[in-house]
Amino acid sequence: MKLKGVVALVLGWAVPGLGHAVQKKYLRAALFFVSIFAMTGIGLAMGGKVYPMYLEPPRTAFQVVLNLFKKENPLTILAFFADLGNGLFYALSRLFAWGGGQLERATFEFGTAYIAGAGLLNFLVAIDAYDIGAGKKK
Amino acid sequence: MILESHLLSMAVYASFVALVLALVRRDGVKARLRYGLLLFAVMTVGALAFGWFMFLFIKK
Repeated sequence: MKLKGVVALVLGWAVPGLGHAVQKKYLRAALFFVSIFAMTGIGLAMGGKVYPMYLEPPRTAFQVVLNLFKKENPLTILAFFADLGNGLFYALSRLFAWGGGQLERATFEFGTAYIAGAGLLNFLVAIDAYDIGAGKKK
Repeated sequence: MILESHLLSMAVYASFVALVLALVRRDGVKARLRYGLLLFAVMTVGALAFGWFMFLFIKK
């Protein structure tokens, strides 16, 4: 793995488009940032939920996994990994308690899908930044 | 409240996804435009078609 590619991957994951911006792909970076940031923002405004990982004090590695699955619908584990794709936003959402989810709103489901979709797209964007950094793509 | 219309929400969502995927998966302006429009059309028409399909199973 090339260091330049890995740096672009990490930066691109942390902030949408940053991995492209450091490689002077400014237009693509701006489009990625606006699209993904808008999706996350709209998702939050719609009352969408950012799914956390539930970690109780673990005794064994197996219990960590078991705890994750006990708390809510197991499908929320997949939503957690999708939300994690939002990088820095995910960390901020945990810090400032954004994205608690407003279940009573008609837009809750769509908002949650917007946030998860933004995370998944950002994974692809970060991998694309890695490919450029590694010289596999222009 | 923002985007209360499910149809509008779906169209906006599809446009963002189509834009990002077109930029990631294709090179060149023309190829990206064609791919992005195709993705947008598939997502919106597919969602509408599936919505009408589910209407067949509505409980009366």
